[in-house]
Amino acid sequence: MSVGAAELLPGAGGRLDLPDLTGSGALATRSLSPLALFWRRFRRDRVALVALGFIALLIVVAIAAPLVISLLGLPGPSVQNPNLTNAFGSPLGPSSAHPFGVDPLGQDVAARVIYGARVSLIVGVVGTGIATVLGTIVGLLAGYYRGWTDTLLSRMVDVVLAIPVLLLGLGLGAACEVRGCLGGHVQSGLGVIIFLIALVNWTYIARIVRGLTLSLREQEFVLAARSQGASNARIMGREILPNLLAPIVVYASLLIPQNILLEAALSYLGVGVRPPTASWGQMLAAATPIFNTAWWYMAFPGIALLLTVLAFNLLGDGLQDALNPRLAR
Amino acid sequence: MSLRFTTYGARPLTRRSPTAITATRTGRGLSVFTSIRRSAWLALVGGAGAALVLGLSACGSSGGSISGSSGTGAPPGVLTPVSESLTGGVRGGTLTVLDHQDFEHLDPGQAYSSVDYEAVYATQRPLYSYEPNTFAAPTPDLASAPPQISSDRKTVTVHIRSGVRFSPPVNREVTSADVAYAIERGANANVANPYFATYFGSLEGAEQAEKAGNGGAIAGIATPDSRTIVFHLTEPKAQILASALVLPLSAPVPAEFARKYDAHKPTEYGSYLVATGPYMFKSSGAGRVLGVGYEPGKSATLVRNPNWSAATDHRPAYLNQVNIQIGGDPNVIGRQVLEGSHLLQNDTPAQAIVQLAYEQHRSQLEISPGAGTNYIAVNNHKGPFANVNARKAFWAALDRVAMNKARGGELVTNVMTHFIYPEIPGFEQAGGLAGPKVDYNEHPQGDAQVAEKYLRLAGYPSGKYTGGATLQVVGATGSPEAPDAEIVDQTLKNLGFKTKFSLVDKSVMYSKFCGTPAEEIDVCPNVGWAADFGDPQGVLDVTFNGKHIEPTGNNNWGQVNDPAINGMMQAAEPLVGAPARAGAWAAIDRELVAQAAAIPFAFDKEPNIEARDVAGVGDVWNIGSWDYSYTSLK
Repeated sequence: MSVGAAELLPGAGGRLDLPDLTGSGALATRSLSPLALFWRRFRRDRVALVALGFIALLIVVAIAAPLVISLLGLPGPSVQNPNLTNAFGSPLGPSSAHPFGVDPLGQDVAARVIYGARVSLIVGVVGTGIATVLGTIVGLLAGYYRGWTDTLLSRMVDVVLAIPVLLLGLGLGAACEVRGCLGGHVQSGLGVIIFLIALVNWTYIARIVRGLTLSLREQEFVLAARSQGASNARIMGREILPNLLAPIVVYASLLIPQNILLEAALSYLGVGVRPPTASWGQMLAAATPIFNTAWWYMAFPGIALLLTVLAFNLLGDGLQDALNPRLAR
Repeated sequence: MSLRFTTYGARPLTRRSPTAITATRTGRGLSVFTSIRRSAWLALVGGAGAALVLGLSACGSSGGSISGSSGTGAPPGVLTPVSESLTGGVRGGTLTVLDHQDFEHLDPGQAYSSVDYEAVYATQRPLYSYEPNTFAAPTPDLASAPPQISSDRKTVTVHIRSGVRFSPPVNREVTSADVAYAIERGANANVANPYFATYFGSLEGAEQAEKAGNGGAIAGIATPDSRTIVFHLTEPKAQILASALVLPLSAPVPAEFARKYDAHKPTEYGSYLVATGPYMFKSSGAGRVLGVGYEPGKSATLVRNPNWSAATDHRPAYLNQVNIQIGGDPNVIGRQVLEGSHLLQNDTPAQAIVQLAYEQHRSQLEISPGAGTNYIAVNNHKGPFANVNARKAFWAALDRVAMNKARGGELVTNVMTHFIYPEIPGFEQAGGLAGPKVDYNEHPQGDAQVAEKYLRLAGYPSGKYTGGATLQVVGATGSPEAPDAEIVDQTLKNLGFKTKFSLVDKSVMYSKFCGTPAEEIDVCPNVGWAADFGDPQGVLDVTFNGKHIEPTGNNNWGQVNDPAINGMMQAAEPLVGAPARAGAWAAIDRELVAQAAAIPFAFDKEPNIEARDVAGVGDVWNIGSWDYSYTSLK
C-alpha cells in the first residue's frame, strides 16, 4: 500500500515506521508523529514558511489594529479630514503623516488598509469554516451511506453549484439593504457575504469528501471497526473523518483566498460591507474613477489584497505538499 | 406643482451622470487563483510590482488649486454660458458628440431629461424657450409674443408665428391646432407625459381627459383661429401654466401624422418624428427615425431641417450636422475630447477630467451656473428631527465645504445656504450666495459650538443627542453621493446620534425609501432638485409644500408641512410678474431656512468640455447642458 496523507494522521494507526521521503537515502524516519512529520516536510518549504509568517503577521495586525494604528501615529480609519484634499476634492498622496496617502474623504488609507484586513480575514476564515463543516458533513453522509442518501445529497450539490453566486449576491445585497431580509434577521453586509460564501463553497468540499469517503469506507480498518460492532456514527467520526483531515485542510486553505477575493468582488460591486467599515474591495471600487489622480488609493489596498491572497495560496500549496507527498514536486 | 428635476424617482435619473464604475469580476472566475502554481504566483507578484512602478511613474497628483474666485460662475480663463457670445459663429461643419448614455425619449410629449432636451430643443419649437445665457426670461419661440394673462389669472392667450413649417414628410405650416393636439396628447395614457397633471392639470376638462386617457380634446384649450391658442383654467394658476409653455409638450405635433402612432401603447411617435426646429433627426421618406437617424444604444444623427426658416427663430443653427455617438466610458470620452477635434463630451465629465481640463486645457472647459441644488432631507414629521432646534444643530455641524469637495470642489459647486439657486429669480432676494444671516448658516465648515447650543435648546443639556433613537440614513451609491452620505453619517455620529447607514441605487433611494413616507426614513443625504423653468415656485413648491406629500413618489422628502409656509405658498402661487413672484418666494425661502426644513449643502454648477476647435455654447437652463443650436466649429 502506498503511503499517503490518509495514513499519516491519527486514526490510521498512530505512530508509523515510514520510508525516507526526503530522497536522501538515509534510513527511514522512525517514531515521528504525523504532525512532526508534517512539520518536518513543511518547514523545508521556505516559500510556504514566508507565506505562513505573513499570514500570522496579518492576523496579529488585524486583531491589534487599534494598537498598531496608534503605534504608527495614524488617525482612525473613519476619521475624515477635508483639509487633506485639494481644491478639486482630490486626495493628497503619501506623506510622512499618511504613508499610504488619504482617500477623497481625507481618511488615512494605511489605517483603512489595516482595518480592511479584519474584514478579509473574518470573511475568509469564518466563511470557509462554515463551508468546510457543512461540506464535510454532507460529503461524509453521502459517501458513507451511498444509495438514495448519496443521490439526494449529490443532486442538492448540483443544484447549489448551478446558483450564479455573484448575481445572487447582488440580489441579496439589494433586497436586504436598509430593512434587511426575513423580517430584519438577515442584514446586508458581512453577514450576507459569509452566507454566500458558505452557500457556494460547501459543495466543493462535499464532493471531495464524498469521493474519499466512498474509498475509505471499503478500507480494512473500517471493515475491522464494523466487524467489532462500531456504530455508523462512530465509524464516520472516529475512523473515516480523521483520514479526511489532510485533504480538507489543504482544500480549505485554498478556499480562503477565493473567499477573500469574493468578498472584495462583492464589496467592489457595492453589496459588501457598509461604509464606514473599511474593506479592500470597497476601497478598490471607490478608487477606480480617480485612479489617474490618486493612484495610492487603489495601489495599497490592491497590494494588500494581492499579497494576502498570494500568501494563502502559497500556504495551501505548501500544506498540500507536506500532507500529501505523492503530489509533491 | 412639480418640476423637471434631475434626480428623483418619479422621474428617472436625468442629470448627465459622471463616471460609472464599469469593471466587474465574477466569483467563478476567481477560482483560477487556486490552480496557479507557485512560479506563476511569483510572476504575478513581479508583474504587479512592475505595474505599480509604471503606475506611479505615469500618474500623480499635481496642482490642485483654483486661481481666483468664481462666485456662482467660472474662474478666470474658464468659459461660462452667462457671458459667452451667441452670435458670430462659423456656419457649417459636422460636430461629433460623445455620450456614454442613451436618450430616454425623443418624443417631445415624453422627453424629460437633460440629454433628451439637448436633441429635442434642437429639433422642436415649443411656444417659448430660453436662450442659452438665461434661465429667467423665456423668449417667444413658436409664439410671436409673450403670453397674455387675464386679470382673474384663469386665462392664458398665446399667438403663434406664421412661417413655421413641419419637416418632411408633413411639410405644411404649423397652426395653433397642432399646439393644441400636442398638449392634449399629454393626457393620453399612451404618451404618459410626466408633468401634464402638474402644470396643465388646472385646464378645464384636463381631469376628464386624463381619466379618459385617449388624447381627446380638452375643453379648456381653444383655438379661435389658426394663429391663436387660449387656455382656460379652473383655478387662478395662469402664471405657472404660462411658465410651463417653455416645456417640450407645447411643441406642435401634426395630428394627421402622429395620431396613428399615438394609438399604440406606448406611442410610437418617437420613432416617426417630424421637426419644427433648425434640425431634424435623419429620417426615411416616411418620417421614420428609428433605425435611420437614431440607433438605440449606438448613435443619433441630426441634420438640417429643410423647412426651417432662420427668419422665424432666435437660434443661429451654425452646424450642418450633429453626430451623436452613444456608449463608452466617460473617463475615456473626456480624454478623447480634450485631445480630439470637432468633439464635445455630453456626459458630466468625471472629477479627474475636470481637474485635467482646468489645469491643462482651460480654454476647453466651460462651467455653467445654476445646475440645481443638493440638500439633506430630514424627517420633519417624526423622530428627533421633528424638533426644529435639532435640525438647526445638524445644519450648524455639517461641514458643507467637505461635502462640496466630494463633488469636485468650488469649481463645480457653491456652498448652498438656502433653497432658491443661482439664475432662478429670487435667488438674490433670498440671500444670494451668503444666504440668510443665521448662526447655523454662517460657518460652512461646521461649527460644533453652535450645534451644541441648538441641541441644548432641543432638550439635550449636554449639547449631544442623548435620546437613544437610531436614525435610519439612506443614501445613494456611487460618487459623489456615497462620500457625501458618509460625511453626513459621521456628522450625525459626532452629534451623538446612532445611525443605521445604508446606500442603495439612487432610483431605489427615491422611489422606495426617501419618496415613500411610510418608510419613515430619518435622513436622506443625497436629494436634489432642478427646476423645469426659471420660476422660484418650481424650486420650492413640490419639495416643501405640505399639500404635495404623497404616499408614493413623494418629492417633499422631509415631509415638511408647516402651516405658515403652506399659507405663504398659497398666497404666492397666483402672483404674476417676475419681481412680485421673486419677492414672495424669496420670503418663503427665508422661512424655510428659519425652520431648517432641510439641510442644504451644494449649489451645483455644470462642467462641460469641448475640443479645442469647437466653440461650444452651454445652457444656463437645462442643468447646464450643451446647446447644439448655438454651438459652432472654429
